[in-house]
Amino acid sequence: MSEKEDAPKEIVGYRQQPGKLPFSRPGSGGKGKFSESTDQEMIPESQGGKLAQEWGPHRHDELISGRVVGKSTALVDSSWKVTGQAHYGDDVRLPGELIGRIVRSPHHYARVLSIDCTKALELPGVVAVATGDDAKNRFGVLPVTKDEHAMAVEKVRHAGDLVACVAAIDEATAREAERLIQVEYELIDPIHDMREGLEDSGEPIHDRGDYHIGESNVQKRVFQEFGDVEGMIENSVASHKKNWIFAGVNHAFTEPHAVVAHWDPTGRLTLYTPQQVPHYVHRALADVLEIPMHQINVHRTFVGGGFGGKSDPFPHEMCAAILARKSGKPVRITFDREEVYWVNRGRHPSRIEMNLHADDEGRICGIETDALIDGGAFASFGHVTTYYNGVLHTAPYEIGAFHYTGARVWTNKPASGAMRGHGAVNSRCAVEVGLDDLAEKLSVDPISLRLANLLPPHSATITGFRVTSIGMRECLERVREESGWNKKFRKLPLGKGIGIGCGFFISGSGLPIHWDPNKFPHATVHLKIDMDGGVTIHTGAADIGQGSDTVVAQSVAEVLGLPLDMIRVKSRDSDTSPVDLGSYSSRVTFMNANAAISAAMQIREELLDATVEITGAERSGLIIGDRRIFLKKDPAVGVSYLEALHKSQEDRGALVASGAYRTPPMGKMHKGAAAGLAPAYSFSAYVTEVSVDVETGQIKVDKVWAAHDCGKALNPLAVKGQIIGSCHMGMGQVLSEEMRYGRSGNLMNPDLLDYKIPSIHEMPEVIPIIVESNDPEGPFGAKEAGEGPLLPILPSVCNAVYDAIGIRTSELPMSPEKVHKMIEKRCREEEVSDPNNLPSPSLQHSSLQGVLENRAKEHRIRDKDRRLDEGRSDYHNGALFGLDPTIPPDEVDPRWSVRVTPEEEYLKSPRLAGSAWKHTERRHAEGQK
Amino acid sequence: MISNRHHGEPNAQRMGSIGRNVVQFRLPMLPPSDGVEWNAKVNDEEVSIIIESNAILLDVLRDRVGSLGTKRGCDMGTCGCCSVLINGEPRLSCLTLAVDTEQADITTVEGLADGHHLHPIQQTFAECGGSQCGFCTPGFLVVISALLSENSKPNDQEIKQAIEGNLCRCTGFQQIVDSVKAASDILVSGQAVSDSTLSKSDPHPGFGGD
Ligand code: FES
Ligand code: FES
Repeated sequence: MSEKEDAPKEIVGYRQQPGKLPFSRPGSGGKGKFSESTDQEMIPESQGGKLAQEWGPHRHDELISGRVVGKSTALVDSSWKVTGQAHYGDDVRLPGELIGRIVRSPHHYARVLSIDCTKALELPGVVAVATGDDAKNRFGVLPVTKDEHAMAVEKVRHAGDLVACVAAIDEATAREAERLIQVEYELIDPIHDMREGLEDSGEPIHDRGDYHIGESNVQKRVFQEFGDVEGMIENSVASHKKNWIFAGVNHAFTEPHAVVAHWDPTGRLTLYTPQQVPHYVHRALADVLEIPMHQINVHRTFVGGGFGGKSDPFPHEMCAAILARKSGKPVRITFDREEVYWVNRGRHPSRIEMNLHADDEGRICGIETDALIDGGAFASFGHVTTYYNGVLHTAPYEIGAFHYTGARVWTNKPASGAMRGHGAVNSRCAVEVGLDDLAEKLSVDPISLRLANLLPPHSATITGFRVTSIGMRECLERVREESGWNKKFRKLPLGKGIGIGCGFFISGSGLPIHWDPNKFPHATVHLKIDMDGGVTIHTGAADIGQGSDTVVAQSVAEVLGLPLDMIRVKSRDSDTSPVDLGSYSSRVTFMNANAAISAAMQIREELLDATVEITGAERSGLIIGDRRIFLKKDPAVGVSYLEALHKSQEDRGALVASGAYRTPPMGKMHKGAAAGLAPAYSFSAYVTEVSVDVETGQIKVDKVWAAHDCGKALNPLAVKGQIIGSCHMGMGQVLSEEMRYGRSGNLMNPDLLDYKIPSIHEMPEVIPIIVESNDPEGPFGAKEAGEGPLLPILPSVCNAVYDAIGIRTSELPMSPEKVHKMIEKRCREEEVSDPNNLPSPSLQHSSLQGVLENRAKEHRIRDKDRRLDEGRSDYHNGALFGLDPTIPPDEVDPRWSVRVTPEEEYLKSPRLAGSAWKHTERRHAEGQK
Repeated sequence: MISNRHHGEPNAQRMGSIGRNVVQFRLPMLPPSDGVEWNAKVNDEEVSIIIESNAILLDVLRDRVGSLGTKRGCDMGTCGCCSVLINGEPRLSCLTLAVDTEQADITTVEGLADGHHLHPIQQTFAECGGSQCGFCTPGFLVVISALLSENSKPNDQEIKQAIEGNLCRCTGFQQIVDSVKAASDILVSGQAVSDSTLSKSDPHPGFGGD
């Protein structure tokens, strides 16, 4: 456009004098009398700043004011935590409170014949008791599998299951009353081995009516086939097969569950609870108490660690509400550490068979997985877990075929559920260890093998998941580089090893859990700004220590050009916070920050309008900097934030705005297609160095180079914290953590002494490496960083142990005694008597190595072109195998068609979990009769 | 585990504030334990209350003294969340009989800051990521404050040894160690930590001149 035609309107006297203070106005005052000039290092290239954008521009670039996003930021609620003033579940003390205790079943499986509470009620100080009769409605986190009661109705299903509860004036009385409640049981034969769960049973743990699968304890079964399943074995030149056993692990957060329930004088219930997912508790309470949702306020306290373990609506939350209703007093229930293990919801004990096939070009022509997972006594999130054990390892590699059979069974154990890395961790470990073995068989470098088989950015996986940004290649390249991989791999002395592992995880789930047919958003954020200029953010997102309050505050601060001390986040009460679906599936940063940005954008527009009105400046030339809005090319022309704010408040008062986020439509149509769908995915690659004591089998992890693609680190400090914390948790699972059940099914270690979490002495040095792939739909480009970083640590440790002593485990945790046994076995095989004389694994590259390196080089260019080219064509998994990348292969090649039920042929010799398909659902069985 | 550590305490007493006189209330069927007087200094404040002779210090601190910052993670001495300083020494309050701390000087997390001036370790825990969910934080803070008052420049090994009894499930400890080092720098340099009540940002700034 020509300067003359579009000459800026004359500016009417709104030029501020540098270094001169504006007239004060109500609400002004405080530190930082002058606006700071914008830090150009924080402004993206696309906006004329100096922030390099290797991955291209982003739709949120123009909202960057250079204030807070991308800077390491202390959590906004940290002052509360470091002064001891953060109140967690047990710290909520209401006047006149009663203490609630829960009576738990001592039996694994039994019918409850009678409960006699008379003696307990006679005890002075006991105010109320409740049993299953007081709340007969079922609940559960997933609407399709509501199978829990507040307390046992008819049956108890695991040792520790809730039978009754009591409220008394103090803990001692409540504990005494707990002992006085007499329950008569009739024992039923329990099931402890998950394999038994696959068989017909005289007394299945639950009865799903018409939908029950045979007479078995199979809660969910999945069969999926994608791609050229017939061809995969034919085309393979190397195959890997391993049968894994993974022990169950617990979240072991430091804060035991606690809850306070209080019915106020108006008859409304407030439930104070350290919950990751307050909204689903809200729904479940309404179901169980038979009151409408608006009669309940769910107040999320500070949460002392969640990791998935505080994301179900829990029976003890129902108990507190029921006791408080009966007694007319507030009731507080706090768990002993032991009780934490009784509610569990930890990672499923699993038996996974992993098969991988590679062809003569080093392509992964097939993955066959069979996963049997032990759900314990309730469904919890298990429906989803069963899918995740399969579908979440169909990327980041391009694969020729995928065959998955999965089953989740009920057993008489505390329920398994969602735990950090939900459903993906164990099977990912099996895949990544398998790839290491395949590389060994093909005599190639395992990192080269991975780099030559990656899906490109903006592609679709074999299961039809839409993947946008992918920083996998950069993660692999950076850990290879920084760890000095090429100088170390297969070259370290016996007892020292280095290993690689990768990860892929969802950044939010495409479908909300409640599956409402209407189009409710997944996240909503409200903003309110009054004349004082401070911004109040109302959000229902649950900060569980991951820093979600901080991220939402940062996002709003960035868009409005404000320092964080002007932002306050109100995220506790459902009465005042708009619904957010909760802190699970790594959805909060992605969804909630997007909602916050869209709300802040509305305020930003109003502030810009006001600035135009005051200054007469041209709107398109205005930008927002530090608490000031001004003309980019003449910063003297501008107004303070407060001036613009007061202008826009004329005649209406406080500014309010609401922003929401809902996932775009995506994915395929087959049964189960929605499981694993996410608006974006994170990627990670870790290289781990270990030392193994060949004589004792003790493993020490020395150092981890941990690269994670989180899209954009809105708060690098928190991202690093998530990466390091994930390493800690994953290391626990791979080396020492295990919920140990004795021969008769008793949990042997429900405490933190025998359930072994790594202490500071076991922690390796972790070098967090942040890769920023700038996701097009993420807030400022961000994706998740909370769960994905856990996945690679397990396989990278396993692979490093192989590099150190040449043994491959198939059982986690790798306790010293197991490793020692394997070393002894290897000694016998190698015919050496002293383990110190074992040969250390070595590698001579085959000619395939060159092929892989060339392909990786080509793909590197392909990937870069794709991520920068807005007009890119579609890319579907299968192109690497010669198919047209632009068409979904199942639409052109019948061999690639999707199958979700097994054929007769398969059922003749099914794999372990696959045998769940031998049963017919009752409704169909009856149909046959 | 059935414990009767709260035995006989009427609710009013448990909710009561420091030193309030409450009528003892006994449940007939439970063997009563004696009420004894307990005098101690908690965070520089004299406390004198009647407690049961078998009361655990953690319960007394949380339920009677009102130090809710002292956390209960396990009751078994395995997590370190309940750490407090007894006469300057880090101790697990869940494994300490309150009567054994008669006349002692007890510091909990609430006693670390000087008014609105945080202790350097509190400040750096926030800044360096030492605290995520924050539940383990009070325990770490009191233990580290004891370390730093003895040794203002601890090395890695000394830091690790000091906090080996504390579990953190969130941070993987690395940023906790970073926080200790940053706090040590503040202590050694003699810098003061600023007062959190100082004025916050002016929403109405002038143009600084670019
Ligand atoms: S509560 Fe004292 S060590 Fe855990
Ligand atoms: S910060 Fe959560 S346990 Fe340490």
